[in-house]
Amino acid sequence: MIEVTGSLKRRLAVWLLVTVTGLGALLMVEAWMSTHRAAERAYDSQLEAAALTIAEAVQWQQGEPLVEVPAAALQILATRHQERVFYAVLDADGEAVSTNLPFAIEPAWREQVTSAPMALTTRLDGAAWRLYGREYDSAGWVSQEPVQIWVGHTRGGRVALADELFERTLTRFVAMVLLAGVLMALALRVALGPMRRLRRQLRHRDADDMRPLDARVPEEMRELAQTLDHLFARQRQSREELLRFTADASHQLKTPLAGLQSTSELALQSEDPADWQAALTAVHEGAGRTSRLAGQLLSLARLRHLGEADAVAPLDLAAVLRETVLEWAGREVARHHDLGLAELPDGPLWVCAEGWAIRELLGNLIDNALRYTPPGSVITLGVAVHGDEAVLFVEDDGPGVPADTRERLLQPFERGGRQDTDGSGLGLAIVDSIARGLGGRLTLGTCKPHGLVVRLHLPLCDPKETP
Amino acid sequence: MTRWRVGLHLVLLAMLLAGAAPLHAASTPLVVEAALDREVVAPLLDAFRAAHPDIALDFRDRSTLEVDARIGEADPAPDVVISSAMPWQMARVNQGYARRLDSPAARRWPAWAKWRDEVFGFTFEPIVMAYRLDLSRHMAPPQTHADLYTLLTTEPGKLEGKVTGYSPFKSGVGYTLYQQDARYTPRFWDLVAGMGRVNAQLEGSTRAMLEGLSEGRYWLGYNLLGSYAMLWAQQHPEVIVQVPRDYALVMMRMAFIHRDAPHPVAAEAFVNFLLGREGQRVLAGQTTLFSVRPDIVGPYTAARLRDQVGERLFPIPLSASLLAFVDPQRRAAFLARWRREFRRAE
Repeated sequence: MIEVTGSLKRRLAVWLLVTVTGLGALLMVEAWMSTHRAAERAYDSQLEAAALTIAEAVQWQQGEPLVEVPAAALQILATRHQERVFYAVLDADGEAVSTNLPFAIEPAWREQVTSAPMALTTRLDGAAWRLYGREYDSAGWVSQEPVQIWVGHTRGGRVALADELFERTLTRFVAMVLLAGVLMALALRVALGPMRRLRRQLRHRDADDMRPLDARVPEEMRELAQTLDHLFARQRQSREELLRFTADASHQLKTPLAGLQSTSELALQSEDPADWQAALTAVHEGAGRTSRLAGQLLSLARLRHLGEADAVAPLDLAAVLRETVLEWAGREVARHHDLGLAELPDGPLWVCAEGWAIRELLGNLIDNALRYTPPGSVITLGVAVHGDEAVLFVEDDGPGVPADTRERLLQPFERGGRQDTDGSGLGLAIVDSIARGLGGRLTLGTCKPHGLVVRLHLPLCDPKETP
Repeated sequence: MTRWRVGLHLVLLAMLLAGAAPLHAASTPLVVEAALDREVVAPLLDAFRAAHPDIALDFRDRSTLEVDARIGEADPAPDVVISSAMPWQMARVNQGYARRLDSPAARRWPAWAKWRDEVFGFTFEPIVMAYRLDLSRHMAPPQTHADLYTLLTTEPGKLEGKVTGYSPFKSGVGYTLYQQDARYTPRFWDLVAGMGRVNAQLEGSTRAMLEGLSEGRYWLGYNLLGSYAMLWAQQHPEVIVQVPRDYALVMMRMAFIHRDAPHPVAAEAFVNFLLGREGQRVLAGQTTLFSVRPDIVGPYTAARLRDQVGERLFPIPLSASLLAFVDPQRRAAFLARWRREFRRAE
């Protein structure tokens, strides 16, 4: 089920837009403030220069400060923006020695300027002014009192400069964002290139081509490519298994069928009805074996292709075991063996499994035990609880199986080197398939002093938890 | 043409007598307070009235000091203020009395002849020397400031009482011109001392100096407004106008619209007319006020004056430095020195 949840490009674009807008807003606020600061600083230095020029012109005559305002100071004050200008020279009492506009310098400002030069923005006469005040010590023959020089101008130039600087910053920022956006789009295209190449490669792949991928991918896509390779490998393996199984099955069926053919041919060449009788008996038995073989193959194939677990209900393993053993004990084939049940735990043992699967599994295990043990052997079935697992076991006191061949027993058509029985070698393979299907596992072990024990480990489940 | 002008003057006179009653019911009054001789500027006013018949122009010709006083005191305020006392005009603009003019003509106006787009120097009047023809019979007429100084020092006897100039105490224009002269050379003070030595007669206006020259009281005048002197010389052949050959100051009449103008639309129309092609063409062709605009052709243009006199024209810069001239302490110090130098010989 493929669900498309938005486009990567759009998501990236949205993220870019959100971050750029957020950061941009902050940046622009900062830029606005800093451009205004810069403009104030630039023009304040002109106020300082003008104040200094006026201070240079202050002289003392008969104990009175006298100032011939230098024209240059006024031009510095006016700047190239042709500001309205203000100047005032105040004596120690705050009286204007010389001034051009009737602005009153507040006593608080005068007080502040005695300690340090000060610049301030204020509204006077219906216009915004920037004023700068500074106190100068002066030496005269009669008096040595300090004078305060105040200069000021309107703020047109400052606003214009700040606006110009800010506009330039803004233009640069917008250009940068646009450029970054374009580059981002290009980078995205380049970055998604390997993805497109991989897609093309997969699309052009033959249906039965299970070779590993041959593609150059960036680090971020290595995992995806490896997973794909792994998937291909598993598919290849399962395909090979299937082919091998089919070949093995055909081979297994060919042998009894060839036997049937030769028996019936021999019988057809004979004139003796007794031979016919013997041949027919042989053919009958052979057909029975073949049919059973075909049945087992069918059931194995069915188990292998069992889809995802159907709805399974909790099942009492002990009850099924008891039932199955009782059924088998009554059969003809079990006549020569001692088929018994070990002591079962009290109460039910719940596992999640289908009843037919457990019965099939038990049947195969019992059948195997009967087939591969000499008559008179003791076969014991039982179930126990180990932690959160139910362990079902089938043990016999037969010859047992050497450790090195034990694992191979689970493969189809494997008979543990025994050619003396008419078994097909499919029983344990079927059991193994069922065990896997139920989410359990199969282990093989030996009994003392001799004999084989097959254990099926199944997870326990809560009977109330019906999925 | 002359009859037409006289007729208009009569109309104006009638309007003034009738308490500025509008000629037409629909006409807008416009009050212009100007320190500018009506006689000199008449063609311009006529042209304006012809171009704007709906505006009843009330042109009031006063002295510079009166005009300056009217700016702050008149109620209602005048619409347009014109004055040749450049520092005082500039001080008024700096005080915020001017209204910004945003028009194509104002934007095109050369930057050196305007301030804050509020006040405009719309004429280009050279400052000249003038002498009576009699002078040349006694001595070589001066062509430069140095010539003048030489005459004052070598011929003090002949020139005793025959030299005239502005009184810096009575005339704002005269004060401004002396201030500007003093900025260029310290030898200016020798010139003042020389004038004092020949007991130069100090007048309050160019007109008074010109009348004295025509009457024969004076032989030589220093720092006269070229605009008046040239017009006078056209009608009085005994007076010769000399644009100094070393350097000639140039004064500009400064016009601005009053902040509290009762008729701002009419005022803007008037100033736009002054600065516009039409008004400047009248200035260049029919008055001796000289047009500032470089694209105007006529006998009286700044460009033509430059061609005749060369690059020795020094316009008084229309900048904040003018404000220094009206600083009371600076003015007092300057006048004190002027008086001292003038009496140096005694």
